[in-house]
Amino acid sequence: MISHRDNNTQRIAALDEQAEALKLKRGMGIADARAMHPTIDVVEADAEADRRLLEGLADWCDRYTPLVAIDGEDGLFLDVTGCTHLFGGERAMQEEILARFLQQGFDVRAGLASTPGAAWAAARFHGDRIVAGGEEEELLAPLPLSALRIAPQTRTGLESVGLRTAGAVMAAPRAPLARRFGATLLLRLDQALGRLDEAVSPRLPVAPLSVERHLAEPIMLTDDIERLVSRLAVALKSDLERRGEGARTLALLLFRVDGAVSRISVGTSRPMREPRLIQRLFHERLTAMEQNIDAGFGFDLVRLSVLSVAAFDMLQGDLAGEETDDDADIALFADRIRARLGEAAVLKPVVVESHLPERAVTAVPFAEAPQRRAPKPDRTAPPMTIYPPERPVRLFRSPEPIEVPATEIPEGPPMNFRWRRALYRVARAEGPERIAGEWWRQLPGEAEAPTRDYYRIEDSEGRRYWLYRQGLYSSAPQAAPPRWFMHGVFA
Amino acid sequence: MLPEVNVMAMSAVARDTVFALRRQIAKIEGTLPERLQAPVAGVSADAVRSDMTLVRRGLAVASADALLCTGIERLDTALGGGLPKAALGEIHGLETRDAGAVAGFALSLISLILKEKQGLPVLWIGTAEIFHEAGFPYARGLHALFGIAPEQLLFSEAPKLLDALWIAEEAARMTAFAAVILEIRGSPQRLDLTATRRLHARAQNAGRPVLLLRQAGEAEPTAAPVRLIVSAAPSASRETVAGPLAGSIGRPAFTVDIGKSRTALPGQFTLEWNPNEHAFAERSAEKERAEDPVAVVPASARGADPAPASGAVLAFPAVAASAAGDQPPRQQHPAHRGPRRAG
Repeated sequence: MISHRDNNTQRIAALDEQAEALKLKRGMGIADARAMHPTIDVVEADAEADRRLLEGLADWCDRYTPLVAIDGEDGLFLDVTGCTHLFGGERAMQEEILARFLQQGFDVRAGLASTPGAAWAAARFHGDRIVAGGEEEELLAPLPLSALRIAPQTRTGLESVGLRTAGAVMAAPRAPLARRFGATLLLRLDQALGRLDEAVSPRLPVAPLSVERHLAEPIMLTDDIERLVSRLAVALKSDLERRGEGARTLALLLFRVDGAVSRISVGTSRPMREPRLIQRLFHERLTAMEQNIDAGFGFDLVRLSVLSVAAFDMLQGDLAGEETDDDADIALFADRIRARLGEAAVLKPVVVESHLPERAVTAVPFAEAPQRRAPKPDRTAPPMTIYPPERPVRLFRSPEPIEVPATEIPEGPPMNFRWRRALYRVARAEGPERIAGEWWRQLPGEAEAPTRDYYRIEDSEGRRYWLYRQGLYSSAPQAAPPRWFMHGVFA
Repeated sequence: MLPEVNVMAMSAVARDTVFALRRQIAKIEGTLPERLQAPVAGVSADAVRSDMTLVRRGLAVASADALLCTGIERLDTALGGGLPKAALGEIHGLETRDAGAVAGFALSLISLILKEKQGLPVLWIGTAEIFHEAGFPYARGLHALFGIAPEQLLFSEAPKLLDALWIAEEAARMTAFAAVILEIRGSPQRLDLTATRRLHARAQNAGRPVLLLRQAGEAEPTAAPVRLIVSAAPSASRETVAGPLAGSIGRPAFTVDIGKSRTALPGQFTLEWNPNEHAFAERSAEKERAEDPVAVVPASARGADPAPASGAVLAFPAVAASAAGDQPPRQQHPAHRGPRRAG
């Protein structure tokens, strides 16, 4: 028996057959139930775990149709339009789904109808019924009001005026109903009867293209999966060619025999359709994930989906038939690294117009970086300075605080400093180069970023550093002295 | 006329065979072929000339192309013509704080390579540890100093050394990169002779250099034919129209030691990188700063000597130093209260 807290009382949320045989009911207080049967076993409800289980089931239902939606806390919608013939018709499909769920240990009720509302009512009030198109009214008429998916207040309101079945509501004049109980009631009614369309919004975006293979003998080995991927990719190639497109994101779905589904996706930085390359990308991904994929008793359905596509530009090889497309090589290299080590494994620097050194260059993942192209003359570019400011070859990600005991003049360079617990004697210094905070980026209430004075420093052993003093010396009492930071290293 | 030509043709065939064999030997031994090829003294001028023809036609042309000349005659001679291009090259920094100089030297070599292969990208692989300890490469600085455009650069940060090695191996076999840099810290077990040999073999096949930068590492046996130990050298002053500007910091300078080379003797060189011409220049001994010491900056406006350095630096004051009473050690004095010469 499972309890949940409702209005400061523990009530029964769900119970099994044995408890039902003891005449316990849902919604009953736990204290009452314990008084009746002191030996009952009560478990606290865990909504999060229920949700995870339902999502797992929805994943598993992906094998029947790509359009799976979660309905409330305990229901799933499957839009099987155009899929039933693959499983031998509506009746056979519903029976297979029920049988499979039963084998997994779930007590499931199903209903199949041409509108989601009617299917909902059929599943909950008939258990196993297929409603043909046009029979919705006949199905709903004898059912109680809760078959209409309406709010409890509306239901009690309707019952108080004597409308106790869905058929009675249908027979009542519409205008007063709408005036008294709101538009939702009639909307639900019309949707259930097919007078209005109701869309089932799927949990996951539907892949534009996917190929799958049902396996009589489940496979477990990574090598077998890879071989299957390349076969599926061959089937995918002709579809992509017909559409003149290449894949940008690919997902491999592995349906395990016992219902768990693994979803493995790879991204490409340029449209791809070559089966060999697709297989190599999945090879890296599968190698990296080898420990995370639990094959269990094997996978009996493998699906390769293209999640996003882009136009594929055909390139003609040169006369000798040798293609040396360096950019393509690098893109493939970056994709393979990305597949194995994650999105940010290959970075490309992008120059940003900013005075702050750490903001002037950002590293973006390779796939998101703008493609290389011939530099075009930029008229808005600022004029070149004859002496551009010197910048270090390495920059610390976050400036490291250093201790500066003294400077010869208050706003001058340090004479020596301590960095990472070692003392450095300054032999020469150049500067300061003053870089003020970017006030135009500040939020209204934010304090102004302190000004930085940068110095190029050479220590007594010839190493060159880039230090800065944050803030200025102030004559005001209790003013904090400025702090010093190490920001970069010169060649 | 005819017989003579025949003889020459035959001798040419024989020489071809000899050169092919020498090349095989060179490949097996891993030495540079021209070491074996030095013209034998006492051969007639004619033979030397035909030697040269052959050299130009076959081996030497390729091998001259296979070496990267630093432009410093002394260093190039010491290395036997230059650094091999299609090989793994090791560049060591003794301490992590030398990372700037090591990176700068490696990038200047790449800048020399890019003179021939313009526009090809450069991949820089590093472990997360080294990028955190020594700083991430800064694209703006690289562009200004070495002429490597930000669009040409690719960085790869690997969480573990094993991943970094995998990326490097994959990258080393590609011809689409002008060069690959692999930067690591310390002397890890994983980077042993086998791992470096794999990298070296891939670099040889692809004909592209792989530079292994090791910060704060010990010299360990690796497959790299050349190991250079680089540290920062004090730079010269900036040159102005009115002569060197006192107290300024000029072009980047490096001290390069040949740590290992099959052909060279150990030696030390001080190089200066010219960012305008993208070329090295050797600093002659008399220009060294040792002879032109520059004191603490900024130089005093009145031209007087700045305060001398305080006494000898000791790691820990000896117990006997308690004679100074409760005074803190000298190092902790603010400099303006430091010892000052009377008068």
